[in-house]
Amino acid sequence: MQRSILRDLLILLGVFALIWLLASLFNYPEDPQLLSVEKEEKLGKAYVDLILLNPMFEELDNERIDSAVNVIGDRLKKGLHASDYQYSFMVFDSEMINAFTVPGGNILISSGLIGFCDTPEQLAAVIAHEMGHVEERHVISRLIKELGLDILTSGDQYVLGEVTGMLSSSKFDRKQEEAADLFASELLEHSHIEPRTLATFFRKLENETDNELMKHFEIISTHPNFSSRIRNVLSYQPDADFEALPMDLDWAAVRSGL
Amino acid sequence: MEYHPLPQPDEIEIRVREDAMGAYFMMFATTAMGLPLPILNLVAAVIYFYVNRDKGKFVQFHTLQSLYSQIPVTLLNSGLVVWTIVNFVRDYDFTSFYWGYLIMCATAGLLYFIFSLVGAVRARKGMFYYFVFFGKVAYHQVYRIRHDRNSRITENRPPSI
Repeated sequence: MQRSILRDLLILLGVFALIWLLASLFNYPEDPQLLSVEKEEKLGKAYVDLILLNPMFEELDNERIDSAVNVIGDRLKKGLHASDYQYSFMVFDSEMINAFTVPGGNILISSGLIGFCDTPEQLAAVIAHEMGHVEERHVISRLIKELGLDILTSGDQYVLGEVTGMLSSSKFDRKQEEAADLFASELLEHSHIEPRTLATFFRKLENETDNELMKHFEIISTHPNFSSRIRNVLSYQPDADFEALPMDLDWAAVRSGL
Repeated sequence: MEYHPLPQPDEIEIRVREDAMGAYFMMFATTAMGLPLPILNLVAAVIYFYVNRDKGKFVQFHTLQSLYSQIPVTLLNSGLVVWTIVNFVRDYDFTSFYWGYLIMCATAGLLYFIFSLVGAVRARKGMFYYFVFFGKVAYHQVYRIRHDRNSRITENRPPSI
């Protein structure tokens, strides 16, 4: 009898452990599925227009810098074989070191960040990371989670204003940052840019975490910490036939134009 | 191991059957009441057991089976409540492990509900119904023949030479 009871207990524990394990393996869809990419792009356009009206995010009128950013963006877009988004990269005039993603594939980069990057590959790594947040729908997911779909799509001007404030100082969770880092590594590899450049950029940021100019930069999220992210990025192994191609840019000249 | 013989349905009075059935239905009521604090169910289940323990072995068996099966469900639900609160308070991720755990708790709750419902119907008919594991434990505990230590005959023997 006692042996039979013990056997039943083990079966019961095994069945429930299996249920937990199998249910954990399932990839649970997140709320952003509720909003189509088309609607997200429409919303994103309204946010970008509002953000650029803010004197803190005034669009930088510099052809050389725009052109350099577009060269980098085009290289990344080529590496991105299929996407639902039409990417748009804008540079705003600010000494703050910042880059952030606005729904609909809009990536805003500060002139301060361009000056901070030692190479165009470092800027490409940051943009690739932001594209990771776009593709994984992290921004819209966060907005839906915090505000709810109804408020977000209400078109209310006051809400739009609040959202623009939230976007420029976004913080993502550990899982999202790791997903964006992995996405960036893969995209950089497909774009013939050394994927581990991202680790170099993290190291550079880590040395300057006290810098007040980067306090709104989402990439400096407290979780996961830089050491763990650097380790993850460095552990990424590109294919054996991977070849890094140099960027056709005079980076010193680009930076001198700031 | 020896066990007391089991009573047959026609030997069990209606009043006894209803008390046995009540053990399962009482659990549903306390589960609904104690949802925010699942530990309350367990307290109520223990009280019900002690109140009804003198009403015969048939009632004891069903009450004990219901109480034992309530314990893991309560512990799982308490874990879920704590995990959810911690996630909200500390702003942690709701990971796939969390959702997996939630599904496991829901499965356990659903199985508990179905088994309890069948158990209640069977108890009302004066029948036994054994839950996996818990049924055997309850049967073993209630129907096992316990030999009273004091009833042993003490025998004086000469020393071995």
